[in-house]
Amino acid sequence: MFNTKGQRFKGSRLSEQAIFLFALLCSIATLTLCVKSVPAQTTATIKWVKVESGKMAVELTGLDAATLQQLAKWNVLQFQKLLAVYVGQPDANVPPMLGSYRIHNNALRFEPQFALEPGVTYRAVFLPGKLPGGLGNSVVTATFSPPSRDLTPTTVVAQIYPSSNVVPENLLKFYLHFSAPMRRGNVYEYIRLLDESGNPVELPFLEIDEELWNHDLTRLTLFIDPGRIKRGVKPLEEIGPSLESGKRYRLVIDREWRDGNGAPLKESFEKAFTVAPPDRQPPNPADWKLETPNADTRAALTIRFPEPMEHALAQRLIAVTKSTGESIAGSVMLDDQERRWTFIPDAAWQSGRYHVVIQTTIEDLAGNNIGKPFEVDVFKNIQRHLTSQTVKLTFEIR
Amino acid sequence: MKRFTLFVALAVLAFGFSSLNAEAKLTSGMATGKAEFQSMGPLAFGPDGILFVADTKAAAIVALSTGDTKAAPAGQSLKVEAVNQKIAGLLGTTADQILIEDLAINPISRNAYLAVSRGRGADATPVLIRVKTDGAPEVFSLDNVKFSRAELPDAPADKMVGQGNRQSNPRRESITDIGYLNGRLFIAGLANEEFSSTLRSIAFPFKTVDNGTQVEIYHGAHGQFETRSPIRTFTTFKIGKEDHLLAAYTCTPLVQFPVSDLKPGAKIMGKTIAELGNRNRPLDMIVYQKDGKSYLLMANSSRGVMKITTENIDKAEAIKARVADKQGLTYETIEGWTGVDHLDRYDADHVAVLRRGEDGSLKLEALALP
Repeated sequence: MFNTKGQRFKGSRLSEQAIFLFALLCSIATLTLCVKSVPAQTTATIKWVKVESGKMAVELTGLDAATLQQLAKWNVLQFQKLLAVYVGQPDANVPPMLGSYRIHNNALRFEPQFALEPGVTYRAVFLPGKLPGGLGNSVVTATFSPPSRDLTPTTVVAQIYPSSNVVPENLLKFYLHFSAPMRRGNVYEYIRLLDESGNPVELPFLEIDEELWNHDLTRLTLFIDPGRIKRGVKPLEEIGPSLESGKRYRLVIDREWRDGNGAPLKESFEKAFTVAPPDRQPPNPADWKLETPNADTRAALTIRFPEPMEHALAQRLIAVTKSTGESIAGSVMLDDQERRWTFIPDAAWQSGRYHVVIQTTIEDLAGNNIGKPFEVDVFKNIQRHLTSQTVKLTFEIR
Repeated sequence: MKRFTLFVALAVLAFGFSSLNAEAKLTSGMATGKAEFQSMGPLAFGPDGILFVADTKAAAIVALSTGDTKAAPAGQSLKVEAVNQKIAGLLGTTADQILIEDLAINPISRNAYLAVSRGRGADATPVLIRVKTDGAPEVFSLDNVKFSRAELPDAPADKMVGQGNRQSNPRRESITDIGYLNGRLFIAGLANEEFSSTLRSIAFPFKTVDNGTQVEIYHGAHGQFETRSPIRTFTTFKIGKEDHLLAAYTCTPLVQFPVSDLKPGAKIMGKTIAELGNRNRPLDMIVYQKDGKSYLLMANSSRGVMKITTENIDKAEAIKARVADKQGLTYETIEGWTGVDHLDRYDADHVAVLRRGEDGSLKLEALALP
């Protein structure tokens, strides 16, 4: 677990042969500590220790009472010249890592401010000559590497929505669901849209630094570049849509994409689909078909949509209430390629009148809202906004 | 002479008091203590060293009184090689494990502030880094600072989806840019579910009951369609005597609208004044003056840095018909300024940029404005 190495430079009282032999012994035997003699503190040593909090720290021990008394008055900058911890190999670009210094049980202890990273080598560097009354330029190092993470690939692409293998030409987004949390940064490098010939479609997605993840990094929202969807804007006019009606495509997720542990995906993932003409028709709940359950059962209330709805919003923006407006608790499921919405109440249905309350911001696959298409033609007098934020469908339970 | 000296002394004292008063007013509602963050995204400086930090995960904006109000000496510069390696070393990790989310220059001290994520997973730690003129990054401690916090209105809805233990609310709104102007903070957002254009405006100092103003902005494109689209980055700009917002959209148009139009619930039709062309992904934008003229400088992921003339911005007509490239305001690409991820105004003659080299190392430097 501990890997300690000692080195010594000019100013040493040992012979060169002794230094060599000593360094060799230290390296081969991977001693947990390495002792060097210095004029002021002949027994001063450093070692990595696990402290009370369970974290790793570096301790400088073998200091006499007078030295400890003087060190107690030092500030961080003084301590850093005596004892500092660095990441990786010596590099003038890399400053010492942050942490706190304190005298503890007759030792000077350095506790890193941040948790040590698995697989990274940390190098504690002690300059005995910087001790009060110390002389010489000797350098003592002690390295420590927390065990590396297990990089056995286990994470997979669990699902891509829309799950249908036919999407409209003006499809607005994909959702990529992963079986475990992923890693942020440069995600678009791992996502390719290939045409029928296997050639990548040029810049098909909206690539933004923020990367639209959910909180636990298991779902990424992948918007199609809106400039390639919207009529009248330059990208669409000059290079055309990302997806063209009548053609087939593959959305390919590269297995080199790293999960939260740093492991690659277990396998790459492909979603093949064909493209239908653009959909510019706002969804209309009047066209939705309700299948109502019987009273005194916990059977499902079902809504069948004539077209697939956007996966996340259809789950979040449809609620069931009593006629009084009181919410009914239950669980929602979306299946049949996002064309069937199912609600199972926590408690049995009671006879009476109920509402399905739909937020008008719900979207179909092309981003059309209820009462508001994705794009509004300014030369036609289309009502852009419904005054109401919700639409209700009423049903009876008998 | 004595009387004059007294007058000057009184004037200086009065100025000092008024300045102190103004500062005190801005920080009067602030608490002192530990400022907690779940994440750090876009940064923007207000007056008196107040730094606004967007916490996307928590759907909040935190105003920090940095106390960093000592004016920079004339001729101060900024050049830090491998700033990502230096920050990683400071934080005890490797350069590939940190993400620099944004850069802001304190207009008073000209110290650079960087929002950094230590780690790339869900458990990443947000850290505010300050780089002074010596080029050595330091962690700006948030343990005992004056700060105030504004929770964003319409924060992610609380509706949970899924069943049993797998219930979660996956909706999240990313803050794409923030900016301060005349006592108001403007916040552009992008949700990871609904595709909408929202721009919020919150009065500062923050008031507990201020829900902010949320507006919906449409912009005309070339043809007959008006569209909604999220704002990628924006800046403020005076046209005549009126403050305007210039917003670059994810679908490429550059749109202007008067700040006075931003009224609660308003639906604003912005004026498209330029189409910046294909493969354009605007990242960051500032306004500057040179030789008596105003320009926009925009970092763009694929076109490098673009310098856009605003000479005729007051006369610019909304683009309504199909046009050739470079319609509207004209622009040029600055040769050699490649790999710029973030930029902010440094001083009257310089811009601070964070540039990515071919080896992945990031350089933070102040460059002469083109």
